[in-house]
Amino acid sequence: MTPAGPSAHRVRKQRRYGLIALLVLLCLLPLVLNDYVQFVINTMLVYCLVAVGFNVVIGYLGQLAFANAAFFGVGAYATGLSMVHFGLPYPVAMLIGTCAGGIVGGAVGLPALRVKGYYLAIITLAVGELMRWFYVHLDNITYGSGGFNVPNIHVFGTTLTDRGKYYVFLAAVVLGITSTSLLLRSRFGRAFAAIRTNELAAASLGIAVNRTKVIAFAWSGLIVGLAGALYAALNGRVSPDTFGLSQMLMQFAIVVIGGLGSLAGSVIGAVVLTAAPELLRDFPGFEEIVFSLLLIGVLFFMPKGIGGLLARKFPLFRERLYREPTDA
Amino acid sequence: MFFQLIVSGIAVGSVYTLVALGMTILYRSTTVVNFCHGEFFMVGAFAVVVSQQMFGWSVAPSIVFALSLMFVVGAGIERGLMRPLQNAPHISLTMMTVALSYLLKGVSRFFYGREVIALPPLISGDPIAVGDVSVFPQDLLIIGVSLIVVVVFYYFFQRTRIGKVIQAASQTPRGASLVGINVPLLRNLMWGVGAVMGAVAGILIAPNTLVYPDMGGHMLILAFAAMTLGGFGSLPGAVVGGVTLGILENIVGGYVSSSLVEITPYLVIIAVLIIRPQGIMGEWRQDRA
Repeated sequence: MTPAGPSAHRVRKQRRYGLIALLVLLCLLPLVLNDYVQFVINTMLVYCLVAVGFNVVIGYLGQLAFANAAFFGVGAYATGLSMVHFGLPYPVAMLIGTCAGGIVGGAVGLPALRVKGYYLAIITLAVGELMRWFYVHLDNITYGSGGFNVPNIHVFGTTLTDRGKYYVFLAAVVLGITSTSLLLRSRFGRAFAAIRTNELAAASLGIAVNRTKVIAFAWSGLIVGLAGALYAALNGRVSPDTFGLSQMLMQFAIVVIGGLGSLAGSVIGAVVLTAAPELLRDFPGFEEIVFSLLLIGVLFFMPKGIGGLLARKFPLFRERLYREPTDA
Repeated sequence: MFFQLIVSGIAVGSVYTLVALGMTILYRSTTVVNFCHGEFFMVGAFAVVVSQQMFGWSVAPSIVFALSLMFVVGAGIERGLMRPLQNAPHISLTMMTVALSYLLKGVSRFFYGREVIALPPLISGDPIAVGDVSVFPQDLLIIGVSLIVVVVFYYFFQRTRIGKVIQAASQTPRGASLVGINVPLLRNLMWGVGAVMGAVAGILIAPNTLVYPDMGGHMLILAFAAMTLGGFGSLPGAVVGGVTLGILENIVGGYVSSSLVEITPYLVIIAVLIIRPQGIMGEWRQDRA
């Protein structure tokens, strides 16, 4: 292990206080927001989880899998439908949506054991579009192409407002990011990175490549499924066209701009790319032009995304795949 | 009815073939899977619309204009955006094509917003009936053009010197440059040709569908399906895969259920990659991640 010198200790302390301060600020944030900004911030939180989950597979495991929008959709549909059909309370439905995402994630991981690279990209894109077809054509369960309304969420007899949702979402995001960060710093996370770098070498070091891949996909599905569960609550409506190719490409853009293999980057990417369309919504096409220019700029000047750039400049943003000794 | 389905399947499949051929050529010469090929398809159709409706040109010059424009766009993209990333990780090249897909869609949406434009057929006229099979002249034109393109490609790659040089350069770029072949120039030309191929398909199909900024997205997946079915990266595979996919879609639509037509390409992709990843004609190699 790397010896934790005094400067490493300082960085760790800075990071801890920084995160606590950030969390306190985030808890106080709704006091100064109007309803519209609150809604946008809630959307950002959802996409933070989407990006973190996607990054596990594409950034850490290094697999070009494009089924993330499908996990997102499954999470949203499972949550919404179990509320509509079975009248389940939101927390239970949320759990179901998260698990459904995890199961589909693990299942999508299976073809990844057989095909790689572009082949995997294409088969996962096909899975995503296939899911969308089911949403449209199983209309007696999923309400077809128009989608359906998710019932209001009641807490102690009152309806949950956007502000209330914010705290639920914030808790989910903190939980999702913390657990993912812990997973990545465990032997699993290091195994993901080993597989990304060289699968054969990883296998020869005794890493069970197939099992590790399925675990990474299932974890990714779990986190993105949770994001889907939040999405179902976000605007109270779930419809198939939300989870198509354009959603997939936008999630891809978020992760790439934020930085492959960087959790902080995922969060930054999600915030930037959720804010951009809101600022540009009056100009048709501008959203896509700005996305593309951001992507091109990142590819040219920051090959590791915003997260990678920050990590190079500031030790605070360096994310290691091992846990630093705590007693230093 | 069976023969009717086959004939319309070939007409649809010809367009898939053109799109898949364009992508295959790019893939073989640059190892990049081009996610903005659907947008080449769309911009090609838009260029015809613009030159007809805004410049008031007739059909032939507007098509010439669209194709030359797309050649310049394709070659320009290679020179300006892809070549600087030549030494970057391979995934960056893929992302660049995704970025371009956004850019081209955004630009066309900026000018045309939510408009959906109808383009008159290049050849109009009543359907021609042979026995109980009837074909629209436009479909015959699509089949004819695709056939010509396929024959020209076959001749070019198998019989001409420059075609063989291009094949050599795509097989071992380093070796080709060692014997004095200008590999970057060839890549540049191939990007231009790929973009033109996309535009040809877009212009041919535009009268049957409609012209709108999102028309390319679905075609991209269809082209993936055709390429996968025929054999990813194989030129004859793109032709066989495209036509087979077109026929398959029509047969599924005619005999099973029309709602299954949409997912035929997805099912084809999943089935082929799980059962026989090399497709009908391809060779199996997994070295490009």
